[in-house]
Amino acid sequence: MNAIELKHLTKYYGKVRGIENLSFDVREGEIFGFIGPNGAGKTTTIRTLLGLVFPTSGSASIFGLDCIKHGTEIRKHVGYLPSEVFYYDQMKVIDLLKYSASFFKKDCTERIHELAEAMELSLERKIEDLSYGNKKKVGIVQGLLHGPKLLLLDEPTSGLDPLMQKRFFDIVAQENKQGVTVFFSSHILSEVQQLCHRVAVMKNGNVIRLESIDTLRQENYKKVALRSYGLTAETLGLSNVTNFHHENGTTRFFYKGSAQSLIQAVAKHDLTDVVIEDPSLEEIFMHYYEQGPA
Amino acid sequence: MNLVLRELYANKKSLLIWGASMAAFVAMMFVEFAAYYKNPEMLAVIDAMPRELLAAFGMLDANLTTVSGYLSMSMVFINVALSVYAAMLGHNLVAKEERDKTAGFLMTLPITRASVLTGKLIAGLLCSAILLGIVAGSMLGMLLPYEAEANFLAFFTLLLITTFIIMVLFLSIGMFLGAALRRHKLSAGLGMGLVFALYIASIVSGLTARLEFLRYVSPFEYFEAAQLLRDLRMEPIFLLLSLVVVVGSVSGAYFYYSRRDLYV
Amino acid sequence: MTILVFELRRYMGSLMGWIASIVALLVMFMAFYPVLAQDAAMLDLFLEHYPEELLKAFGMGGELSLATVAGFFAFSFAFTQLVVGAQSAYYGFHFMSVEEREMTADFLYAKPVSRPQILLAKYGAAGSALLITNVGVWLGSFLAIDLFRGDATYELWPVVSLLLTVPVFQLFFFSLGFVVTAVSKKTVSVIGAAVGVSFVLYMLNALRRIVGGELLGLVSPYYHFDPNYILLTGAWHPLHTAISVSFIIVANFTAVRLYLRRDLRSAT
Repeated sequence: MNAIELKHLTKYYGKVRGIENLSFDVREGEIFGFIGPNGAGKTTTIRTLLGLVFPTSGSASIFGLDCIKHGTEIRKHVGYLPSEVFYYDQMKVIDLLKYSASFFKKDCTERIHELAEAMELSLERKIEDLSYGNKKKVGIVQGLLHGPKLLLLDEPTSGLDPLMQKRFFDIVAQENKQGVTVFFSSHILSEVQQLCHRVAVMKNGNVIRLESIDTLRQENYKKVALRSYGLTAETLGLSNVTNFHHENGTTRFFYKGSAQSLIQAVAKHDLTDVVIEDPSLEEIFMHYYEQGPA
Repeated sequence: MNLVLRELYANKKSLLIWGASMAAFVAMMFVEFAAYYKNPEMLAVIDAMPRELLAAFGMLDANLTTVSGYLSMSMVFINVALSVYAAMLGHNLVAKEERDKTAGFLMTLPITRASVLTGKLIAGLLCSAILLGIVAGSMLGMLLPYEAEANFLAFFTLLLITTFIIMVLFLSIGMFLGAALRRHKLSAGLGMGLVFALYIASIVSGLTARLEFLRYVSPFEYFEAAQLLRDLRMEPIFLLLSLVVVVGSVSGAYFYYSRRDLYV
Repeated sequence: MTILVFELRRYMGSLMGWIASIVALLVMFMAFYPVLAQDAAMLDLFLEHYPEELLKAFGMGGELSLATVAGFFAFSFAFTQLVVGAQSAYYGFHFMSVEEREMTADFLYAKPVSRPQILLAKYGAAGSALLITNVGVWLGSFLAIDLFRGDATYELWPVVSLLLTVPVFQLFFFSLGFVVTAVSKKTVSVIGAAVGVSFVLYMLNALRRIVGGELLGLVSPYYHFDPNYILLTGAWHPLHTAISVSFIIVANFTAVRLYLRRDLRSAT
């Protein structure tokens, strides 16, 4: 079944557009990335799924249950990590985690300690004394300690150092192997590229593209770098070439078309070096972004 | 300068709400005056009461049938309300940078903390003056239909000056609390509690002779309206006391604010 | 249930402070009774010469003499009401809005609890705190009276009647704070608003007591539950009580409905 189903989900804050007419599914067991610039509507989508805000129109369901009507039931199996983490005054980390665990009808103590150790989180400190990144770690442990079937992560790695980012991803990947669905919003494209099966690109409250990661790459461009004398766009003799520019004696461009034509065209020139690679998601995305909706 | 403007802008909504509320409050108060205006029967009753009781309600020598008299009776309520505003304003001006997490922006600009505080102080004084102006305007507006006594203008001016002094007093105390204490929830509560306690002190100070010393503790007693009406001057000792408190609080605010670790 | 316990613990610290202040206030005022009783007795002799209507217009005749225990207690109880009002208003302003002001809404409301459950738990905690305060007021009142009344006697029932108004009084201010936070989109400065509200309503009534009339008192619970009236008659004023109670019902009903559908503010 689908872990998440959105049907024409729309949210306006007064006159301000939050999200518009979102319709897509997230399959159970997949890692789904949700990218887009600031203000695109990623956080609004997640908060609507949780029932923190109410949709203006349309509906959303998680594991087949309507998000608003059955919110309480759904949230037993959902773990949420907000992009900015705040907790109550004067509380120690362990107290907050215990309070969090008390909402679920199971004993989470072992899991708390497991996660805290993995993330190197000290349990006895007061939350308000922690740095931003360390507060984030509290959020991570808090979101995972009850063994949820769906994880809603809003920019989860912002504030974490690279080692902790890796640890976090390892934990997420491990959970996913056990069948946990991950819905993960970010505007750090490299992490999405690393983890996700499918990606939705949001802009201005709409989804402008939804693909599996592999398709996104294949359908797109090859990034080419050549070292050759006197090469210009015209002398290259290739169409569907974009972003042609010289950089430190290297000629770079993007090419969309058959690999055969590319090799043949390039081979005509006197080359000293050639690199042909897949663009990073960043490069694909930036390109989309400049062009507008596909 | 731009800081002062910024603060004025930021506080304008609160000022408007308070202004409207105070104007309504004043209106309600003076609506009742019509029944008292030049009513000789009321006079007779007041004359018969023992002094302690009148003192407890600030009604010593207050003649409710005259414009000035009625005004003097109602001043204590206006003073308390304005003091709540001033104390809250003073505290929030200082505390808001940390509360709203804007300290990271403001304090890393090329300005000293002292100049920041000065800007806020000026803004606080201006807002207080504006609110007082609104209140004064409302009062004059409500009293227009009535004939005032000869010394009314002098009395009214004196009232405004002394009320402003009380406001400045609480403004500076509020700023001091915000600057000196680490936890702003605590300092805000303390400020409010102080206004409250000093109000009770002013009531109690008139009850018995033993508690007369409270006159020196509670700002609401420094410039007792009925006394101002009678003597048409402020007592220098209280002016001095106010000055001492204001200077002390403001200096304290500067001192602590400059040394404070800003947690943002 | 866990929420209720958690919330209640967070009230505990300041609760002791509030109750201590209230009890101190009650005792402190009554401590003056022995001294003032004599002065007040003299005042009564004066007042006997004047017709009722004149004194009533002055806000003095209809009251109990300050020379009596009940009369003096009524005088001091108004100040206790001031503190109780501020505290109740504070709880009302605070108890739901705290999650949005402290940005912890994303934590609590993402848990498997429904909004009605959260509301109920928080109501329970705030209500318990108010109830405990109530007990403090009762105990403090009787303590204060018994400590200082000397040989004077008083009727028990009117005092009980007055103390019974305290819960309703608390609910009025609590509901006021609650409905204001439910209606506002932005956050309010909680302690300032609470004290302000309590003071303003107090002053409306204080003024009314001097200048007379009904207008100033209609919106003020200090008038609805005027200690003088209740200690004098031993009963509550039906119309005034009805005004307070209606407000409580309407305010809570409105606020609850609004909170059930409220878009919760977050940090982002």
